Amino acid sequence: MGDMTEDSAEFIDRVRVLRDEVLATAEHGDRDPPGAEVFEALLRALQIGGDSLASGLDLGLHDAVTRRLAWGDSEEVLLADAEMVFDRIMTATERAFREPADRMVIVEAATQVAVTVARVVSLAAVQRAARDRAARLREEMAQRQLKDVIGKQRASLMRLEYETRTDQE
Amino acid sequence: MTTQPPLDGRTVSTGGLRVAGDSHVGKVRTTNEDAMVVEPERNLYAVFDGMGGANAGDVASQTARDAISSYVAHRRGMDPKSLLEQALQHGCHAVFSASQANRDHAGMGTTAVACMIVDNTRAIVAHVGDSRAYLLRNGRLQALTRDHTIVEELVDKGLLSLDEAERHPYKNVLSRNLGARPETRVDVVEIELRPGDRMLLCSDGLYGYASAEAIQYLLGSGDAPEHVARDLIELALRGGGGDNVSAIVIEAPPAPPTSTQVVRTSGALAWWQRRQRFLQIARERGLTRNPIVRGLDAEEALDLVALSLCQAIFHDLEKSTGVNVWTFAQNLAGGWFERGGEWAPLRGMIDILGMSARSVVDEIRAADPPLGFLIDVAVSRALVVAELALGGLLAERLRHIDGELIALHGAMQETIDVLPPLEETTNSGEFVEQQTIPFMRPDRVMTNPGGVSPETISAIEKVLTIARARTPPRAEAVKQILTALQAISSDDGGHFSSAVLAAREIYGVRTVDDSGIMPLFDALDQARIMTASSVHQISATDVVKAKALRAISFAHQRLVSAVTGLVLEAVSPFADRLRDAQALTVQLRDQVSGTERKRADLEKKFAETIDQSLPWEKRGETEW
Repeated sequence: MGDMTEDSAEFIDRVRVLRDEVLATAEHGDRDPPGAEVFEALLRALQIGGDSLASGLDLGLHDAVTRRLAWGDSEEVLLADAEMVFDRIMTATERAFREPADRMVIVEAATQVAVTVARVVSLAAVQRAARDRAARLREEMAQRQLKDVIGKQRASLMRLEYETRTDQE
Repeated sequence: MTTQPPLDGRTVSTGGLRVAGDSHVGKVRTTNEDAMVVEPERNLYAVFDGMGGANAGDVASQTARDAISSYVAHRRGMDPKSLLEQALQHGCHAVFSASQANRDHAGMGTTAVACMIVDNTRAIVAHVGDSRAYLLRNGRLQALTRDHTIVEELVDKGLLSLDEAERHPYKNVLSRNLGARPETRVDVVEIELRPGDRMLLCSDGLYGYASAEAIQYLLGSGDAPEHVARDLIELALRGGGGDNVSAIVIEAPPAPPTSTQVVRTSGALAWWQRRQRFLQIARERGLTRNPIVRGLDAEEALDLVALSLCQAIFHDLEKSTGVNVWTFAQNLAGGWFERGGEWAPLRGMIDILGMSARSVVDEIRAADPPLGFLIDVAVSRALVVAELALGGLLAERLRHIDGELIALHGAMQETIDVLPPLEETTNSGEFVEQQTIPFMRPDRVMTNPGGVSPETISAIEKVLTIARARTPPRAEAVKQILTALQAISSDDGGHFSSAVLAAREIYGVRTVDDSGIMPLFDALDQARIMTASSVHQISATDVVKAKALRAISFAHQRLVSAVTGLVLEAVSPFADRLRDAQALTVQLRDQVSGTERKRADLEKKFAETIDQSLPWEKRGETEW
């Protein structure tokens, strides 16, 4: 990021201007608008510039997605937000940037971010599935123990009932 | 025995081999000292050029001719090569003996070039002296013999150059002949005879007065051998005719016609000759009652449909193509469908025509089985072509219907979307709207106003072709994704359904863990990188490039979303199963605590019972 030229900084500023339009911030007041993490990731991808074609994981995006999942948003919602932001970026870019070369840079970065979001969401979903699978195994072990306990309790009850009856007689 | 040469130049034919010979005294000489053997029954052909004064030349050539002919006639079963060589030796001995017996004939001799054809596939050529044999194959003339002259032998030994040989005063003096000695050396060559080959046996009176080019031209003219032989003699006479001229032209049998040629000629003719029968069978099978020709006279219907097909098959047989039948079937079916016709009558019509054609073929086959077999294959091919044309037309119709259905479905979904929620219009509180996953809705319209222009589609194709070419051979998933991207990005309707379908194919069957899912996203990322870099390599304006990239990026995003949707779909059962397991555990825990309470009650009751049985002062101290 430190290598950013003046031109690229200016270009990123022009993209940043689209934030309100893309995220519809006016509708959400003080709250962070949905999909903000995607837009931020887009700006980061543009800052990296020449390396934007490279495949890789954006840790900032990963953290943001994980945080939203932890707050209770579902993967489906995250994905829908990302898709909405992507669509709006494409529309806004068509309108705001006249030069085809500029549009192409943004489109490339937006696609990269879209793939990354999908990857992070899928990764999170798969990890959740792994946790669920492990939790289910633990549940099943607990169920076996509980069934053992229930068996012992039943034997104990039968003995007590028998002894009580005998003593009363 | 004397064999008279057919000096009238008539062509004789045997087993497909055509032969003609002609001889002329020339313009200078008074006697013809040349002699010829043309014996098709023994496949023996020869030219002799006698020499020696006082009529001895013709005696020598005729003696040799008779001796050789007789020798061959009486020796059957010998190896042809040895037979011909020994026959010439026998002729040599006969001429020598005759010259020794008569002082007037002393010193006479003759040249000889003889050819024996074996099975019409081989030619054995033997020669002594300067009479020659030529072969014309594929338009090229080549000499099969080498003159036995002193000059020629000096050239062979390197003692004379070719230029010197041309100017040498003894260039026509023979080094070998039949009759100078009791025995001579005979040169024998054997060649394979190919269909269409022509051979020429001639005396020096021909090639000495006619150029090789002119001989080649006449021999390759394609005229009958008798005309060629006559023309060659004429040629030598026009060249001066200073010597006796003799020429025998042998033409190898032509190649047997191929099955294609048979079908093109006699097959097509046999089919066309039975056209009335074809029409009759078609009429009997009910062609004139078919709804397709409703409103037409029977004759008109037969002419329009059956005769047209008959003609189409005839022309296709003639030219070994299928284009006429294809066009016929397309016109028939296309016209019918355009009129709103149904499939069944068309199928019926094609069946009637097919069965009529088969009946005609069967009749041809009964009359001429080999030809019938070839016609059967050719007509079957024509009928298959007709079926293929119909299939193509049906596929086209299906595509149209498919497109209309998708458009209809899209319009229906849009209508449903703008309708007020169902809860507001009905009083039923039981209805629960299923949650709709936005990216899984196949009818979602892309943000792609104006659709994709043909220019952009062309650019997309170029980009993805370059990307595919750059993809490593084993990266099958990447190739699959690139193919899917082409379909999705070129989808003019802008619907998302193609992305969902493609995603399902790409997802396939895989385990729900990192090793199963992550390669999928690696491939998607790889495809993205490939397309993004390939877009800069196509030759197009920046505007078109930008549009192509935009369309591909949309497609990529949709595909990625759909794939992620499938991943989420795949992981959802894990959460459900966990919830079920947790519910069961809670149930079991409740059961354990219930049983525990019951046991505690029983123990308390048991303690009370025991307590009652104790003395008064001990009561109340029993623990439970």
